[in-house]
Amino acid sequence: MDPKVNGQLQHDWSWLIAAYLFLGGVGGGAYTIGAINSFMGEELGLSTTVALWIAFPALLVGTMFLIADLGSPSRAVLAAMKPKTSWIARGTLIISTFMVLSFLHLVLHQFVAVDQSVLNVIAIAGIVFAIGTMAYTGILLGASKGIPFWRTGIVPALFVISALVTGHFALMLGIAVFGDIAETSAMLRVMALEAAVLVAIEVLAILFFLQAAFRQPDPRESAERILRKRMFVIGYFILGLAAPLVLMLVAYRAMAGDGAGVVTILGLGAVLGLIGGLILRQAVLICGALPTLNMAGFEFRRIHRPKEPKPGIGMLPPS
Amino acid sequence: MPRYGMVIDLKRCYGCYACSMACKTANHTPPGVFWARVLMGEVGKYPNAVRQALPVLCMQCEQPSCMEVCPTGATQQTDEGVVIVEKDKCMGCKYCIMACPYGARYSVEEWESYFPDGLPLSPLEEFQKKAWEEKSGVGVATKCDFCCDRIGDGREPACVEACPAKARIFGDLDDPNSEVSILIKKERGQVLNPEFGNEPKVYYLLPR
Repeated sequence: MDPKVNGQLQHDWSWLIAAYLFLGGVGGGAYTIGAINSFMGEELGLSTTVALWIAFPALLVGTMFLIADLGSPSRAVLAAMKPKTSWIARGTLIISTFMVLSFLHLVLHQFVAVDQSVLNVIAIAGIVFAIGTMAYTGILLGASKGIPFWRTGIVPALFVISALVTGHFALMLGIAVFGDIAETSAMLRVMALEAAVLVAIEVLAILFFLQAAFRQPDPRESAERILRKRMFVIGYFILGLAAPLVLMLVAYRAMAGDGAGVVTILGLGAVLGLIGGLILRQAVLICGALPTLNMAGFEFRRIHRPKEPKPGIGMLPPS
Repeated sequence: MPRYGMVIDLKRCYGCYACSMACKTANHTPPGVFWARVLMGEVGKYPNAVRQALPVLCMQCEQPSCMEVCPTGATQQTDEGVVIVEKDKCMGCKYCIMACPYGARYSVEEWESYFPDGLPLSPLEEFQKKAWEEKSGVGVATKCDFCCDRIGDGREPACVEACPAKARIFGDLDDPNSEVSILIKKERGQVLNPEFGNEPKVYYLLPR
């Protein structure tokens, strides 16, 4: 049977969920890098402080986006009732624990004088849950049986890498804005190189993801759709990946000299990279299509669910 | 305890959409929501191509992926094997919609009029909206439940009753003498996308 009926895109998850996945990734990525830096010595202390100020607010705002997307937000407290089988329930537990840890870490780091060993214990636990949060944002999609595009197996890895990239960019932006450039330029130079390497890995991950999608019929349809979207090609691939990669390398080279004007280049690259991370998630979400129905050699395509009601019988169509 | 299932004979179905209309009438589903849908496709190649209708609904899977991913436990399976949504437990995360490979689930947050240009709801729509909100709720996942309430009254699901070609047969899959069991065995009933592993309880009899 020829697929004469339109394929059907999911349209129930969009910007609010994309923002939730994005902010969860930024929070997890920034925290992971900042907490690892806390073990590296005093000179990286600023990056830990900035990371802590990014992580908890990002998670809080991200969770608000998720709650805003719920059809019945008042029942959000039931979200973790079935962690044995549901990734949303598991994710709720992971993110909630991570939020508590990141908040505790922030308060103890900034406002309470405690022994470094206590902070180290919190940091180690926090890193575990931060990685869990980054992975969860991808696994949530990867576990959706109804959307083959998300189930190619690469989405969790892609989202973890993207979370590290966006977390890194958020951290650089924070350091550039709140730090003294004379004191932080050496750290920012190293971070620019790290960012370039991470972005290069993300480029490989997205290419691998698309290649995997093109190898199967149903994900291929979504992959073709995503590549037809200007938002993805220009907004993500060119402005969100290629441009930051170039800008980070330019900044890295420029900082070897006097470093004049480099903060602007770094800031621009970081902002573009962050926007790219959000666009990636939105594009992956809205290009998710349901699988083709088939049975004993027959193949069917679903009709498109009309979003707008059609004119009723006896009614004139709108002029 | 019966284990309900359905057989849809594609040789008999000619795509009249009576099942879709009967479902909307019985369950007061809002605009854009079709618990019972009919997909159209083509079989064969020119000059021997023919259109073929494929009625679809919730497959009432034995291993429902929607139930597996539901974080609140709102999606449940009755003793008769019917997958239902307990509206007071659903938080409207829509994860079940993403998990259902058959696209059988919907979430409606606002009832929009069937009529264009922002016209107010007609009296019939007002009645349907109220009935829908009482039965299925607002902002929660909804789906076909094999017309549980009608089955309880000893009737068949609305789509089965309405089918003019008798293409839909409803019954107990565990009863070897039921019409559904006999048809599945005799005519080699097939399920959609068995590779999903959901074990649907809606079987199809293929056109020859």
